[in-house]
Amino acid sequence: MKLAYYPGCVSRSTGKEMDVSTRAVCAALGIALQELEDWNCCGATHVPNELVSIGLAARNMAQTDLPIMTSCSICYSNLRSASLAMEDPEVRAKVNAVLTKKYSGAKIRHALDVILEVLEKNDELIKVPLKDLKVAPYYGCLLTRPKGGIDQPEFPTILEKLIKTLAAEPLDFRLKTFCCGGPIFMPQEKAADDIAFLILKEAKKAGAEVIVTVCPLCHLMLDAKQKALEQKHKEKIGIPVMYVTQLVGIALGLGPDELGLQMNAVSPMPVVEKIYERLTKEA
Amino acid sequence: MAANENFKGEVLRLAGQEVLTCIQCGTCSASCPTAHLMNPSIRRLVKLCLEGKKEEALRNETIWLCTSCQLCTVRCPRGIRPKAVVAALKELAEQEKVKGKDQAYEELFQKQIKDFGRIAETPLSGEFLLVFPQGALQSLEMGLELVPKGKINLGVEKIKGREEVKRIMEELCKG
Repeated sequence: MKLAYYPGCVSRSTGKEMDVSTRAVCAALGIALQELEDWNCCGATHVPNELVSIGLAARNMAQTDLPIMTSCSICYSNLRSASLAMEDPEVRAKVNAVLTKKYSGAKIRHALDVILEVLEKNDELIKVPLKDLKVAPYYGCLLTRPKGGIDQPEFPTILEKLIKTLAAEPLDFRLKTFCCGGPIFMPQEKAADDIAFLILKEAKKAGAEVIVTVCPLCHLMLDAKQKALEQKHKEKIGIPVMYVTQLVGIALGLGPDELGLQMNAVSPMPVVEKIYERLTKEA
Repeated sequence: MAANENFKGEVLRLAGQEVLTCIQCGTCSASCPTAHLMNPSIRRLVKLCLEGKKEEALRNETIWLCTSCQLCTVRCPRGIRPKAVVAALKELAEQEKVKGKDQAYEELFQKQIKDFGRIAETPLSGEFLLVFPQGALQSLEMGLELVPKGKINLGVEKIKGREEVKRIMEELCKG
């Protein structure tokens, strides 16, 4: 399978391990990624003008004829929204009038869906089954919105399906599609902290050994901020937060360096050790 | 009155004529992850727009508490996109030169896209702290986690198509 790859801006800084693990997992699964030529920011949640937002996404989509894959939920949501909006001939004409390469349609895919498709057909690739690992499936908000994408907008199950494919146990996680607060964490710290901590507490209550995230902003809120949130709320959480691509990578037998596991704030290494211990015990 | 009607018309143009069909059921407010901090609520905000109450609709914290998660939009029984109403108000606030930390963050974010084509998170945070020094503690806390992991990138990546991106931003915002 050959796909165009849109890494998104965070892949260059706070979301480096998302990018590293996406590339490693795709290579292991035989998915060839071609980085999108001269890609630009999708605008994230900070471009209120819809036509501008569509234009920014459309410029990216016009760079290739291949289906475009991204690991970032925000990029995915924006590219998908724009491709839907560009079905309107009036919108398409306005946007194409300012684009250098004209947009003529695009297929947008999320890494989660691409990986699951390959794994379901090739389960022999799972070298390290994550048996008995209790995983909180955290989707965040934008992966499934607007509706009509990878799964249902409120009660998706695709992540649970993937977790089961890896032989791990997806927990019943009530807040799985509740927003993490990430988009407003800079100017509205309290509001964002309130919801991020609520999600962490819920994961602890559910008995999670690991929280799996899809979006780099969710990851930042739950992982990089976890220690500060614990101190602020005087409650220990101590749950590692892994990108879905990191979790898949472990099951494929990839090493910590290949998956950027040393870049996570709450170290996932104790969980990785536990996974291997369980595997040895069974053998 | 004319000015108020004009305001309402602008919101409808940007967010969709279906906003007129709002039945004030409050599903949007009940779904919102930051509703507990909002005043006016998102439901009330839609009402203010329909009543043409420009000042009240534009000068409040509510529009900046929206995380753009779209749960209101997924659930609205009338097919209205309350998130698009918020986006319309953010845009109108920008035109009206409403000033504040949230407005400043959006402006800095968009300026980076216009200048470089991409976002460089660390320089963006730095610029924001000049406007809002109260955010320094949070940035320090995060820096302590991110710097040792090699996830802070001080550099700025500039794309080749900057002129095109600038054109997208300047031309398409005219509607």
